[in-house]
Amino acid sequence: MATKELDTTKNAVPFDRANIPGPKMAKAVKAEVAGKFISKAKRPLLIVGTAAGDDGVIEIVRSMAEKGIPVAATGSSLKRLKEEGIDATYVNLHALVSYLKDPDWKGFDGKGGYDTTIFLGHTYYYASQLMSTLKNFTKIKIISIDRHYHPNAQQSFGNLKPDDFIKALDVVVAQL
Amino acid sequence: MVIKKGKFTIEGLENVQINIGKVISSDEEKEEPQGPTPAPDIHELRDWDMRLLKRYEPVYSPICDLCCYCTYGKCDLTGNKEGACGINQEAHQAREAMLRTLTGAAAHAGHGRHLLNHLIERFGADHPIDVGPSNIKAPVTQTVLGIKPETIGDFVPVLDYVEEQITQLLATTHIGQEGSAIDFESKALHAGMVDHVGMEVSDIIQISCLDMPKSQADAPLVDVGMGIIDSTKPVLLCIGHNVAAVTYIMDYMEEHDLFDKIELAAICCTAHDMTRVNPKAKVVGSLSKQLKYIRSGIPDLIIVDEQCIRADMMRETSKLHIPVIATNDKVMYGLPDRSNDDIDDIINDLASGDQPGVLLFDYDKVGELAPKLVMKMAPIRKEKGITALPSDEEFKKLASSCTQCGACVIGCPQGLEIDKAMEAAVEGDLTLFEELHDKCIGCGRCEFECPKDIPILNVIEKAAQKVIREEKGKVRTGRGQVGDPEIREEGVNLVMGTTPGIIAIIGCPNYPDGSRDVYEIAEEMLQRSYIVVTSGCSAMDIGMFKDDEGKTLYERYGGSFLKGNLLNTGSCVSNAHITATTIKVAAIFARRDISGNFEEIADYVMNRIGAVGLAWGGFTQKALSIGTGCNRLGIPVVLGPHGPKYRRAYTGKPYDKDKWNLLDARDGSVHNVEPAPEHLLISAENKAELMPLLAKLCFRPGDNNLGRMIKLTHYIELSEKYLGVLPDDWHIYVRSEADLPLAKREKLLKVLEEEHGWKIDWEKKKILEGPARKVDVSFQPTNVPRLCKGASE
Repeated sequence: MATKELDTTKNAVPFDRANIPGPKMAKAVKAEVAGKFISKAKRPLLIVGTAAGDDGVIEIVRSMAEKGIPVAATGSSLKRLKEEGIDATYVNLHALVSYLKDPDWKGFDGKGGYDTTIFLGHTYYYASQLMSTLKNFTKIKIISIDRHYHPNAQQSFGNLKPDDFIKALDVVVAQL
Repeated sequence: MVIKKGKFTIEGLENVQINIGKVISSDEEKEEPQGPTPAPDIHELRDWDMRLLKRYEPVYSPICDLCCYCTYGKCDLTGNKEGACGINQEAHQAREAMLRTLTGAAAHAGHGRHLLNHLIERFGADHPIDVGPSNIKAPVTQTVLGIKPETIGDFVPVLDYVEEQITQLLATTHIGQEGSAIDFESKALHAGMVDHVGMEVSDIIQISCLDMPKSQADAPLVDVGMGIIDSTKPVLLCIGHNVAAVTYIMDYMEEHDLFDKIELAAICCTAHDMTRVNPKAKVVGSLSKQLKYIRSGIPDLIIVDEQCIRADMMRETSKLHIPVIATNDKVMYGLPDRSNDDIDDIINDLASGDQPGVLLFDYDKVGELAPKLVMKMAPIRKEKGITALPSDEEFKKLASSCTQCGACVIGCPQGLEIDKAMEAAVEGDLTLFEELHDKCIGCGRCEFECPKDIPILNVIEKAAQKVIREEKGKVRTGRGQVGDPEIREEGVNLVMGTTPGIIAIIGCPNYPDGSRDVYEIAEEMLQRSYIVVTSGCSAMDIGMFKDDEGKTLYERYGGSFLKGNLLNTGSCVSNAHITATTIKVAAIFARRDISGNFEEIADYVMNRIGAVGLAWGGFTQKALSIGTGCNRLGIPVVLGPHGPKYRRAYTGKPYDKDKWNLLDARDGSVHNVEPAPEHLLISAENKAELMPLLAKLCFRPGDNNLGRMIKLTHYIELSEKYLGVLPDDWHIYVRSEADLPLAKREKLLKVLEEEHGWKIDWEKKKILEGPARKVDVSFQPTNVPRLCKGASE
């Protein structure tokens, strides 16, 4: 099976070569592991950037939303998500990380904060820099299921080819 | 008799020397009252800072988790751990951000000091300040220091103050000094404020002495772009920010009738200031054009002064036999100082290539030498056809040698897909490279990553030659300050909100998606009647694009301080005129005393004036200090997606109602208000997210109904246009039905009733219940208890 050949842990170097934050960098994980990790979250939040509107990725967002994971639409992703009928809440990513580090924030549904953030479809350097806020100042788990290795996440894929990326996302969704 | 400053002796009493340091005029004696904080030290505006920082909490985004600041370390601060000295990640990040702010402030102040010393020597300390038709000549200086300079010599103690504050602030970053993140933030805000003083000094003295436009709305239009230079002529390129030396070149060229024989052009802010002095000079473009233009081989001589000049200048120019003359001790490149040498000797050494460049601090010599040298260099270089760009054949070979390994993409700060463009070029398709040209910031990092040693930047430029030839725009030369009469005319519209806001597009060209973004942002906001103010690299890039009729925005929109106008204040240091404008509104429209009264003025600006800064491509330390100075004055700033690399932002939390309490200055009563402005410093991922954010950040608690209605109209329209939805927080800005956009009133009332549970009287189309507060036209919002009648801190 194609999925068995897929190894998302390869090429785990920052997509921006100089983006070496320090001794604590993301563990490169297989897609199955990422999926299981997400499925164990009690209060997950899928944070999607503008590139999540790309063909292929948008279906993954839909699948995850249908599995009950709330979707925070950052950048200008909301327009495409709404067109696709996917329920999401717009929020500025910079503002969102400041809310997430606030223990008094009640979340989008008023039920409290989130224990796991899942990043998908972001401008690489932008998301990387804002993940560092969560990494350094919160206990929230950060998992990147984006195409490129994110050192500031807790778990991330390595740098993937476009086809492998979509396959990896399918594997993630299958675990939910 | 006119009494001047200086040293005097009296005839017959030669042993007696009289020193007159400051002449106080009778007008000055009648000045407005001095406020509580003239020339404040670091701690004196701390209370104001704490008010800001309580509402807009710093949010840190470390770019590096380590602290490498002393030999105790490296220390791993990941997870907000403490290092060996006891500092934690939060405070370290605050210190790092403060240091960058301070670096920016020092760059402007150092520029100002150099210029002030030079201009005093050239024109005398008594040379009067002339900024145009204004009584408030130096608003930032007056507000911060409490003094009203009349001559350029009056700015000496002003810069003394700025330099002292910079020294004291820098001292706090030493080991064993400040350990509190929040106090580092207060210090950063202080650095930002003094930066605006330093900038104001720099620009006012050059406007006054060098006959630059003085509040001139119809300042001349000049050419901008890589395609505007006639490369058949000798090309003299200036790079940097300090126009002092270049003025001598322009004077010499005028005296010897050389402007039609030599192309005098510049990159970065020296370009702005050259054209302010003499509009015959040309603007090649912003900072991102620097390496690209050098590599083109078109310049026959380069003059550098200070700031934003590439560190690899000599390596690049030596290869292309372009001599460099460095004219300022901030940038000396290890070159020999030839200031005392004979001009002809220097020319011979540079033309022969015996020396790749020289230092020349004698500006009379620079003025004469540069035109002579460039005319000597041009035939030598043109005969040899020296350029770094590959021939057509070489280009094909280089593109074919690309193995598609993707190392360049990983090396590119923008992650540009250079590999795909190479692949297409091999097939003869250059469109990807042509698109990439505008997005490429010209840093050259890709070349260091390429295992095949492909000179990628040269390949991009070669492929984009067709596009580059068409890069011909217009920029209005820097107009300087907004004049007092303009404030009188427009201030009321701005405070009442009938002009929806001021969008100040400033800073560098590290744009996430090319320079076209700033043009489109400016165009949309101008069409919506915002006042768009710009400066520096952004001002150039805005002028690079044209409409269907071939007109740039500067040709389509007026340059006055009126709604729907586009104002280029000038170079980086002209940013001070943007903050100065808000101070003038407080002084002229609201009749607030400004001398030494920073806190009250900042409080007024934050609650009344819908001004927003945008540093869409900001990457320098100066851009951060400019933004931080805006923040202390109560002006929110938005950064592009590279912005979080500055390490901290000031974001608001609209859900935390307690943070949005304001006082009514009439009686000190507390009012819970809408989050306006919602953030003080924040970033956006892309232009589509930015547009509604800009409109939202123009809301102010002091808006009247008409103003709020207009602002809400734009916020809703921009959100619907770019994000496809009615924003989910629009209703919190509604205080009564009169705040609702007219065209959508009924529809929005229905939304308020159905989705937010508000009670509506449908017969009268009135809101009966729902808004967090009602409109009170007499409401005097303030964050400062001492400004309230009958209240104390």
